Amino acid sequence: MALLTLVVLLVLVLAAVPVAAVLGVLSFVLDELFFRGRLTPAIGEFTWDKSKEFILVAVPMFILLGEIMLRAGIARRMYNAVVQWLSWLPGGLMHANIGSCAIFAASSGSSVATAATVGTVAYPEIERRGYNERLFLGSLAAGGTLGILIPPSINLILYGLITNSSVPELYLAGIIPGLILSSLFMAAIITGCMLRRGWGGTPVETSWGARIRTLPDLLPPILLFAVVVGSIYAGVATPTEAASVGVCFALCLSVWTRTLDWTMLKAAFEGTMRTTAMIMLIVLAAIFLNFVLGFLGVTQALIRFVSELGLTPVQTMLLLVVFYLILGMFMETLSMMLTTVPVVFPIVVQLGYDPVWFGIMITVLMEAALITPPIGVNLYVVQGIRMRGGHFNDVAYGALPFVVSMMVMVGLLLAYEDLALWLPTLVYR
Amino acid sequence: MFERIHARLERLAQFAVWVGGAALLAAAVMVTVDVFLRKLFSITMSGSDEISGYVFAAGTTWAYSYCLLHRANIRIDAVYNLLPRRLCGALDILGVLLLLTFNAVLARHAWTVFATSWQRDSVSITTLATPLWIPQMFWVTGLIVFELVLVFVAAYAVVRYFQRDDAAVNRIVGVPTVAEEVEEETRGVVEGA
Repeated sequence: MALLTLVVLLVLVLAAVPVAAVLGVLSFVLDELFFRGRLTPAIGEFTWDKSKEFILVAVPMFILLGEIMLRAGIARRMYNAVVQWLSWLPGGLMHANIGSCAIFAASSGSSVATAATVGTVAYPEIERRGYNERLFLGSLAAGGTLGILIPPSINLILYGLITNSSVPELYLAGIIPGLILSSLFMAAIITGCMLRRGWGGTPVETSWGARIRTLPDLLPPILLFAVVVGSIYAGVATPTEAASVGVCFALCLSVWTRTLDWTMLKAAFEGTMRTTAMIMLIVLAAIFLNFVLGFLGVTQALIRFVSELGLTPVQTMLLLVVFYLILGMFMETLSMMLTTVPVVFPIVVQLGYDPVWFGIMITVLMEAALITPPIGVNLYVVQGIRMRGGHFNDVAYGALPFVVSMMVMVGLLLAYEDLALWLPTLVYR
Repeated sequence: MFERIHARLERLAQFAVWVGGAALLAAAVMVTVDVFLRKLFSITMSGSDEISGYVFAAGTTWAYSYCLLHRANIRIDAVYNLLPRRLCGALDILGVLLLLTFNAVLARHAWTVFATSWQRDSVSITTLATPLWIPQMFWVTGLIVFELVLVFVAAYAVVRYFQRDDAAVNRIVGVPTVAEEVEEETRGVVEGA
């Protein structure tokens, strides 16, 4: 019976049925089969309780914050500023791609919007400066993935919610791996450009004077980061409060850049509510399915199954990494996390891994999923901004070195758990 | 006739997300004021967290219709993209029917929650003591509107499907192309151009 359910689930997901509908209908069917429909009536009360929960309000707030920042007209100037600071490295503007995607993604909730915005600003430079197109496109796709690791991240809020882990701890845990992963991306670019002289393009003229002059353009995103993340750690605000303060900050910024008007606000509202609805429908269905699965004892059965395999914790974790890499090639990342974590998480905890550490681990694996073909949202987005066109494979190959960087990151996390846990331990434990 | 109703529903859904977004923005300002008053003057203005929760719950259900009409529901299209258009159309319809089923059950039990609060005059266990039927009314009507939109969209798609107008089915309930998706997510972003 369990096998049949799994098969039906897989078939429906692959048949492109909306993920939320698959999860919801599956939980009703399981309830009907095993509990004669006694659990389903609880979905009303259940959904109401979850959807007004204050910690979840952080999700639409961060999305709104990103939507306003996206339209505040800071991307081009910020990109040029990052160019001044980073393009002396071998590989030039590609480092600026990583850097500005990371900064921009940290404030914006949508990796699609991030890659598209920075991408359109950067794209013309490929031809102008003679870069290797593949690697350049890959750096755009990879840079955009950093947003889900570097706080404030919506994915980490959702992970915190489904596993009952502390969101502030998760945010702290993401900082060092986020910085290391950015460096690993840059290392991949440098290696590529050292091996192949022609890949790096013509250098950009920079000077210390120009660098100092561009500093004000970097200020808005850095200030925003300081306000949002700083207020969480100063104990001034909860994540939701910090997000709200961030929204007000972004609003003031848009007044400053004279981009605030009704048209802009309406577009921001539409973007925010669309993304919120898209995420919440799946979140609520996944939480309810998790509730039904809990009654079925699926988790206990799985834990028993895993312990009977007789693998060491590290072997099991490696198996999970492979599982997520394969799944990530085919599945959209958010639904991948929401459907698997409720089942996988208890096993991981049973093995003795730290919940916060696993949150970071799975986020890095989700980043890999964003840029592994055939289904990798960021690859599609970067392909979408290529005005001159070209084969999709260019982007996929270009992203490959960065997937390698991510694998190094996974290895580092496995070898040194403290990379993720040092900061949260320092502050909270 | 279908086109006109579709356009009307789109306008309605758009208006709903404007209101929802504006309410969310207002909630953000309220929470911010609350934080500053608490930290700077130690004044606690309780209730902003509760109200923002209600805004979120109700705003989200009203946005479901917008999400559906803009084909923004998350679907796994790894296999879908390889299939002939005719089959995709059938899968699109299957998807919308399952979503309709899911939401029908959800809306029905949500209605019970609302009706119970109404009959018992339930209030929240907070200093605000909000009569719960008020936020729940906005929340549950969002779900009911979503169900009606689902029924309409399903009917519209089925009719076009049997008229063998596969392009129309894709426009109504299909998976958007990457270009359409990027367009949707970056609308009004000046620097994109």
